[in-house]
Amino acid sequence: MRFCPYSHRTRLVLKAKGIRHEIVNINLRNKPEWYYTKHPLGQIPVLETSQCQLIYESVIACEYLDDAYPGRKLFPCDPYERARQKMLSELFCKVPQLTKECLVALRCRRECTDLKVALRQEFCNLEEILDYQNTTFFGGDCISMIDYLLWPWFERLDVYGIADCVSHTPALRLWIASMKQDPTVCALLTDKSIFQGYLSLYFQNNPNAFDFGLC
Amino acid sequence: MSGVSARSLAKGSAPPGPVPEGLIRVYSMRFCPFAERTLLVLKAKGIRHEVININLKNKPEWFFKKNPLGLVPVLENSKGQLIYESAITCEYLDEAYSGKKLLPEDPYEKACQKMIFELFSKVPSLVTSFLRRQNKEDCSGLKEELHREFSKLEEVLTNKKTAFFGGNSLSMIDYLIWPWLERLEALELNECVDHTPKLKLWMAAMRKDPTVSAVLIDVKAHKGFIDLYLQNSPEACDYGL
Repeated sequence: MRFCPYSHRTRLVLKAKGIRHEIVNINLRNKPEWYYTKHPLGQIPVLETSQCQLIYESVIACEYLDDAYPGRKLFPCDPYERARQKMLSELFCKVPQLTKECLVALRCRRECTDLKVALRQEFCNLEEILDYQNTTFFGGDCISMIDYLLWPWFERLDVYGIADCVSHTPALRLWIASMKQDPTVCALLTDKSIFQGYLSLYFQNNPNAFDFGLC
Repeated sequence: MSGVSARSLAKGSAPPGPVPEGLIRVYSMRFCPFAERTLLVLKAKGIRHEVININLKNKPEWFFKKNPLGLVPVLENSKGQLIYESAITCEYLDEAYSGKKLLPEDPYEKACQKMIFELFSKVPSLVTSFLRRQNKEDCSGLKEELHREFSKLEEVLTNKKTAFFGGNSLSMIDYLIWPWLERLEALELNECVDHTPKLKLWMAAMRKDPTVSAVLIDVKAHKGFIDLYLQNSPEACDYGL
């Protein structure tokens, strides 16, 4: 689905590695019955190979692509550095749910001060890592898997209305700016007005939300 | 390996020195199922290691420098590199050390093991909830949920038609799941595998594995630990020593 942050991770990896692929978008509010044969709970993203092998959970899909396809490796080769990226991914794990809750609260015109405080705390943890490492990206001076895994939620901060949550984290803001200069990130960047159009329709429970912006 | 039956270190203890070359250290706790994953992998791969047990009811201050979350297991090598989160420690050991690979080389087979791991992911917190239950009334709901989760695992074994979760020989995914199935008897939850015959057969096969039997703790010791743990006793982690 064009606006799903989890699928976004997989699309970033496909693009970064130059993997030939085709995309089938699923209407998440009106799922085709056959889709449950691809994923028992009907979730996305799911990869399907020409041998009919199915791989799901966004992180597992991303790791699979890095393992299975040649060319540029997005995960480091060193076992410790790989473990570090996975530990960082764990450190990030509360962010997706928190950003979603902020979005829903704001759209439903509810208080979200506590949620934003919690989100800021998570961002502080990430800021600490960047400060300690003194590197441009989370994996070092070059962009790597961990940056792509985190990116989708940071791309959405502005359109979700919570961009102020990085006001106290300068290193994280610098990272966001550096990410926006990456060719892969740029190629997949979604236009703000299209995203907002999608969000409006989504919160009106319009089943056509997912196709907003297509002709 | 040194330390596995050593008394745990608690608040006020001196921090341990650096890890000697040629050895890897695991910060553990004898009854912790998460740490057991790491111990199983260390044993299965024949990796020279030392164990430092941590008193999880009275943690040493220095332990938070090893893992800011203060949880076991944590690996520390002679370069001072620290790795935590049990699944991450297990994968690290498989990648960093030679010998028998516990994770498959094939990217799809490896992904399958990780998808099974996700399928299992609700079990640890369900077992913890069961452990901590105040009111006996809550049990049947929890047991139902646990039974449902085990049915998912039964389905995997049924579809694969193999003895173990990764194929016909034991591999990483089996070691990652085992510690919670080991504890069913001590928790009086054996009935949760009544309707999952393949899972029961798998449990029997696991008990015969030399690595599993070397690391196994008997029911009495598990029960002794659980009793003290539920009373918040600082002696719990050293039960039986």
